[in-house]
Amino acid sequence: MIDWTIAFPTFLTAIVEWVEAFTIVLAVSFSIGWRAATGAATAALCVLGAMTVATGGMLDLGIELGWLEFGIGVLLLLFGIRWLAKVVARYSGLRALHDEDREFAETRAKLSSGDRHAAWLIAFKGVLLEGLEVWLVVVALSVKVGAWRSSVLAALAALALVAGVGGCIQAPLRRIPENAIKFAVGAMIVSFGTFWTLEALGGAEVWPLGDWSLLVLAAFYALGALILVVMLRRRPLVKATS
Amino acid sequence: MSAFCKTLFGDTRNLAVVAALMAIEVALVYSDHAREAAFAIPPLVLVGVGWLAPR
Repeated sequence: MIDWTIAFPTFLTAIVEWVEAFTIVLAVSFSIGWRAATGAATAALCVLGAMTVATGGMLDLGIELGWLEFGIGVLLLLFGIRWLAKVVARYSGLRALHDEDREFAETRAKLSSGDRHAAWLIAFKGVLLEGLEVWLVVVALSVKVGAWRSSVLAALAALALVAGVGGCIQAPLRRIPENAIKFAVGAMIVSFGTFWTLEALGGAEVWPLGDWSLLVLAAFYALGALILVVMLRRRPLVKATS
Repeated sequence: MSAFCKTLFGDTRNLAVVAALMAIEVALVYSDHAREAAFAIPPLVLVGVGWLAPR
């Protein structure tokens, strides 16, 4: 049985990260060929798979749920606040919007030396680092009992979708609204982080609406971030995004 | 390794914001204001986001 409250944010997060990883692999493939580039990507995915299995085993060891929930909540806050701040900066014009075409061109420029080993490492590291954020969300959202399968399947479905579409068109996936997805997912991830850290410290009764408080929090953060965008919009463009 | 840590934890400003939030949260909970924390922490999170966004 799929838990959609877990699968949905995991799927959206994974889409964003896999699209970024695909752009790097695509750029590398023009330098060392598809076979070597996908080999590097597969190696990175194997590392991520091993990390996921290992973490799943650790979760099954019976660590006290309260501490685990707090630790994971802090990690989600670290991750979600960063995403939300970045996307607020982008929409308010303080940073340039994320652009897969530019990312593609920058990676191609890095590969101009023609070093095959360096190119392979760029693809491996790119997939590993983008996938690390997917791993974090998969593990974090799996703390909820029985949600492990839902989050892993959602991440794999996103990977299959991006790999399938990307493999067909063989161009950067520029039409996926990454910035909008990051905005929505950032609000959701911060909501889970806020909810779990406080629940772990103060007990389930601290949230007046119980689990429904998650929805209220997500709406609050989304609306609050929109207000921040309007407030920050008057500032000049200071730097381009990475 | 630094890229690995930065991916997981963000930069020092990001860490500082979350550390400050957790310190306030712990202080509220252990001073018997856990229910108030549910209303105080979310706006503080947005303050943190607003502080980080231009930096």
